[in-house]
Amino acid sequence: MEYIVKTSNLSKHFGKEVAVEGLNMNIKKGDIYGFLGPNGAGKTTTIRMLLGLMKPASGSIHIFGQDIKQHRKNILARVGSLVENPSYYPHLTAYENLEALRKIIGVPKKRIYEVVETVRLTEVADKKVKGFSLGMKQRLGIAMSLLNQPQLLILDEPMNGLDPSGIIEIRELIKRLPEEFGITVLVSSHLLSEIDQMATTVGIVTKGKMIFQDSIEAMRTLAGHTISIQVNHAEQAWRLLLAKGMKVEHENDFITLQESSNEMVAETVRLLVQANLSIYRVEEEKRSLEDIFLSMTREDSAV
Amino acid sequence: MGAVLRSEWYKLRKSKMLPIIVAGPLIAVIIGAMFNYDSMEGGFNQWSLAVLSMNLTYALLFLPLITGVLASSICRYEHQAGGWKQLLALPVRRGNVFISKYVLLLLLVFLIQLLYLGAIYIVGIINGFTDPFPLEIIWKSILGGWLATFPLVALQLWMSIIFKSFAAPFAVNVIFTLPTILAVNSERFGPFYPWAQPFSMMYIGGNAEDVFFVPWDQVLTVVGGSFILFFLGGYIYFQRKPI
Amino acid sequence: MISMMQTDFLKIKRKGFWFLTFLGPIGVVALQMVNYGVRKEYLLQQSENDWLYYLQNITAFTPLALVLGIAIFTSFMASIENETNAWKQLIALPVSKMTVYLSKFTMLACLLFISSILLMLFTLGFGVFLSFDEAIPWLELVKYSFYPYFAALPVLALQLWIATVSKNQGIPITTGIFGVIFAYSAHIIPDWMIWKWPSLMNQWDEPLINVLLGLGVGCLLYVVGMLDFTRRDVL
Repeated sequence: MEYIVKTSNLSKHFGKEVAVEGLNMNIKKGDIYGFLGPNGAGKTTTIRMLLGLMKPASGSIHIFGQDIKQHRKNILARVGSLVENPSYYPHLTAYENLEALRKIIGVPKKRIYEVVETVRLTEVADKKVKGFSLGMKQRLGIAMSLLNQPQLLILDEPMNGLDPSGIIEIRELIKRLPEEFGITVLVSSHLLSEIDQMATTVGIVTKGKMIFQDSIEAMRTLAGHTISIQVNHAEQAWRLLLAKGMKVEHENDFITLQESSNEMVAETVRLLVQANLSIYRVEEEKRSLEDIFLSMTREDSAV
Repeated sequence: MGAVLRSEWYKLRKSKMLPIIVAGPLIAVIIGAMFNYDSMEGGFNQWSLAVLSMNLTYALLFLPLITGVLASSICRYEHQAGGWKQLLALPVRRGNVFISKYVLLLLLVFLIQLLYLGAIYIVGIINGFTDPFPLEIIWKSILGGWLATFPLVALQLWMSIIFKSFAAPFAVNVIFTLPTILAVNSERFGPFYPWAQPFSMMYIGGNAEDVFFVPWDQVLTVVGGSFILFFLGGYIYFQRKPI
Repeated sequence: MISMMQTDFLKIKRKGFWFLTFLGPIGVVALQMVNYGVRKEYLLQQSENDWLYYLQNITAFTPLALVLGIAIFTSFMASIENETNAWKQLIALPVSKMTVYLSKFTMLACLLFISSILLMLFTLGFGVFLSFDEAIPWLELVKYSFYPYFAALPVLALQLWIATVSKNQGIPITTGIFGVIFAYSAHIIPDWMIWKWPSLMNQWDEPLINVLLGLGVGCLLYVVGMLDFTRRDVL
């Protein structure tokens, strides 16, 4: 398969501290790739290497099938980026900031009005960025990243500092990009819920290592669920079900079924009722993605 | 107040900017060592001769200019990542923050002056001076020079609070310091130019009848006057500065 | 490269660069205005050739203004990029790091060159106003206005290097203070020190040597600085 972004055994360390280690990242065309991990896991370092801001200690990076070492300029001409906090010149207006960029990348002037419109900054385009709110600066950063009509957009924590309506707006914008403009998006976050709402593929990184990389659906199936039943004599119920060869566990007043098919639940309830046990509650317990994420990042390995 | 001052000292100590206080004395040693003392005969005390030659760069250029770097340094970490707002959201008076920073700067300048005294001594040893060390004269010079920087430090602190960059307060400093080279040559203007005072008060060839090398009324009016102007200016500006 | 420079000129808007470009030469000449205003008679007695003596008075301050101006400009420019860490955005653009560095160097060299032109004009203007007896020494006027500029190029290359790689701008500013002290002590420091060169002094008494040294060593220091800049990671 042809990948838009492909890293092989990417590593980087600062002195003795390992920031990224043996990282293999694969991003397909048209993906919204959610790059997930706790703060300080190596996301930003990886992104800096993808943009040629840092040189990897070892390993290789191919973007659009070209090696970043040899084709840095070619690649960057087709990439838009927003790394960490947006960079801007506070003493210039939003328009002038974009103009400063435009001169370098050489797109027509009307492109400035388009991106300003896209991120809804038209009304304040002639104001100095100094007085902007955090959210407005963030939007300006996104506008800057879109200015060169990129084929790959790299956004590092783009929701930082946005209010809820801003978050929704930017999320909708990101989701539109692959469909409408064929842009592949790499978006990093430490919040799983954020990635869950827009990504098609997920990569999870912790302590510099990639511990999971697959489609968002594959990740969701890991969030399999269990049924727990509260009964008056849990231990008795547990022995009974074990004797029938079912996979159950018990804890306090609850017994927990590992399998949760409808038939299995019906059978269990029937057995318990027949044994004259009182059933107080039957609950379905979903393992939230947060749980999975936490347990993965804690144990450094896929579940 | 004491706590604020200790916190200021701690922040400065951790900012790795302290080595610059040895910069001045270091350059004084270099200049002092290069000077050819044999060319000057005629009954001068060798130490006095060395101080005169070293003061020419140290008091005229280095001392006024370095006050700006120090002032910008102790404001740098406040400008960087919203330090001001965090500092002023603490239960401390704004005035105390300003005064603490000012006092810390004065202490640093005093330390530099002491190191300069050491530099003079080192130059003497390098050149093998045999004349007696004119302690009293040199103390007058060191203390006087320190006193003369009070208004300069106040102005530079003010400028450093206004501007985020190092370059802008430094530009202001340079604009006022360069004319000193001419001012000290003028008997009419020199005494009234605040940036010329460090040199005048360290100039050991000056009138030694008073406590310092310049008359008391000049110390009070020029140094004192400009100190009040710059200190109050900075103090009031800081009180009103929207963070 | 042209577009990169247009961008750099756009960025220095409203930051006082142009103001300083004018202020430097105005300041140098203004000091002589005060000097001659206060003691013109005395100064006229000091030399046989009043025009040349006037030029030498001007030239006493030109190297100091140049060295300090360079320190201010380079540090100022670096702080504009440092303020919101715009380096990371700049370097992620499809331009080479060398272009970024060259553009900054060229822009500052342009500003300083404009300062030198202005210095010549202001010097000429006030010189004519003083109405000396001698004819205007055109050749000397041009030499004293532009030679120090070329001789100061190594200082520009060095300060640009230090300013762009320093997170803490106190370092380049302190280097600038060292520089001005050396420049002020030009008569006692050895010929090999780059800060001596703008004073046009050397043991052979031939200012052109300083110009050639300035160009040669300036290029060398520029290349060293640029290579170090391109080698570094952008944080």
